[in-house]
Amino acid sequence: MKNEKHVLPPLGGKLLSGSLTDASIQQATGDSPDFAILPWVNVVKIGGQSIMDRGRSAVYPLVKEIVDNLGRHKMILGTGAGTRARHIYSLAIDLGLPTGVLTVLGTAVAWQNAQMLHYLLAQYGIPFIEPEGFSTLPHYLMERGAVVCQGMPPYKLWEPNPPTGRIPPQRTDTGCFLIAEVFGARKMIYVKDEDGLYTADPKKHPSSEYIPRISVEDLLARDLEDLIVERAVLEFMARARNIREIQFINGLKPGQLTAALNGEAVGTIIYRNGDAK
Amino acid sequence: MSFDHSSSQHVTSSLMRESLVDKNVMARTEAPVSAILPDVNVIQIGGHSIMDRGRSALLPLLDEIVANQAQHRMIIGVGAGVRSRHIFSVGLDLGLPTGALAALSAKDSAQNAYMVSCLLAKHGFVYLEAPFVVQLLPAMLAAARGAVFNGIPPYSLWEHPPLLGKLPPHGSDAGSYLVGEVFGARSVILLKDVDGLYTADPKIDPEAEFIPEARAQEIIDRKLRTLPIEPVVLDLLTRAKLARSVRIINGLTPGNLTRALKGDSVGTLIRQ
Repeated sequence: MKNEKHVLPPLGGKLLSGSLTDASIQQATGDSPDFAILPWVNVVKIGGQSIMDRGRSAVYPLVKEIVDNLGRHKMILGTGAGTRARHIYSLAIDLGLPTGVLTVLGTAVAWQNAQMLHYLLAQYGIPFIEPEGFSTLPHYLMERGAVVCQGMPPYKLWEPNPPTGRIPPQRTDTGCFLIAEVFGARKMIYVKDEDGLYTADPKKHPSSEYIPRISVEDLLARDLEDLIVERAVLEFMARARNIREIQFINGLKPGQLTAALNGEAVGTIIYRNGDAK
Repeated sequence: MSFDHSSSQHVTSSLMRESLVDKNVMARTEAPVSAILPDVNVIQIGGHSIMDRGRSALLPLLDEIVANQAQHRMIIGVGAGVRSRHIFSVGLDLGLPTGALAALSAKDSAQNAYMVSCLLAKHGFVYLEAPFVVQLLPAMLAAARGAVFNGIPPYSLWEHPPLLGKLPPHGSDAGSYLVGEVFGARSVILLKDVDGLYTADPKIDPEAEFIPEARAQEIIDRKLRTLPIEPVVLDLLTRAKLARSVRIINGLTPGNLTRALKGDSVGTLIRQ
């Protein structure tokens, strides 16, 4: 390489010699184009406590609806953790273990739920894929139409501490969101056991108000005590480059997943201001 | 364990039926944390600042690590450097997202860490990939004399979208710090090619003033144009439970690491 600059793309010189903490260089990297890796894929997160822990009555109808959509919509199915994660988090906190260890423990629970979902979908040729195997994912999506993965991001011991307490701040909602964001997915759908977002937890406060559509900026500004989704998802969404909206549907109501996959405005949609379509 | 008989099969626990997103529930999980490996020191060898300089910078540093082996247990994280900057520029040009850049960059630091482990192999250091850090680090430290790991955390495709631009925010400073935090390490020492933190980049601005000690939040508030440390480490420090400080030292100056391991005031100490 006689003249290094000639073989480098436009940003190359700046990146090679400048400081990566320099805001002007960071800004310049934002001007590069955004290529969507899997623009036709839908990421569907199946709740742990809200769906999987209910067993057959909730899971079987949802599995049937997933199977019915196989020919029409390609899906990455991520699972939440749920009750067993709550148990092991409280035990591990009592034992004085740090957040990173709680992430390792919680990941195992999401993994168990993903395995169970995978057993139920195995006869349709749907594989379970570990984070390390994600490079095979396009093949299975093309051939079989869906894959199952555990929803936790693979941070392991490297999970950052939360602002308060010890619960890992980036859990399965966030892991699934980041899959959708990195692949430039068509949709990010969260399947829970509520019709969507309320001003407070409707299980505890029957007078809470339903919110069918809200911008992520408004929602963050309201600073609600409780939310339908991990706060990290909202923070990341506000600065995401690909995902413009996320949808929350009630997986206990037959037809909602199909409607959401078809692009209908069921449940609650959280969108990014300025990008509302 | 007891089960109730509602449609959702619950196991009794203090978090049972609770929303883990609820602020009051999160606040209730505030409790003391124990250190898992309290006598271990995390040493981070910079990619661009040390590794890319080759033999002249690295070998004296490794000699100093070996000379301290009898007194101090060390695990060594290694950064990526100029190859990552190159693949960032190619990847950005191709339109690849932050998570893809993070996955690619982690291979550069893995290469550097592997080279360091080869150079330290005869002194009993082993190279551990992330899954082995999770499962085997304590056993390896008991059996071997030290360990080398990939400084970049295993976030890969799941890397956070940055506040500005598209570069992955968690590099090897963040990964090494997080290893120190989760194990409750005795110290986290970052080896760079500058003496520590300055009010401006001392390579460009001769007027830059040295800052020997500062709190993470103070540095965030000063909004310095460039930093010798990934900014995300400052955020992580504000939430530290165990690793409540990070020391940045010049790894090109012989004796600095030894002094830092002794706890002497050298370089810049960034506190919670």
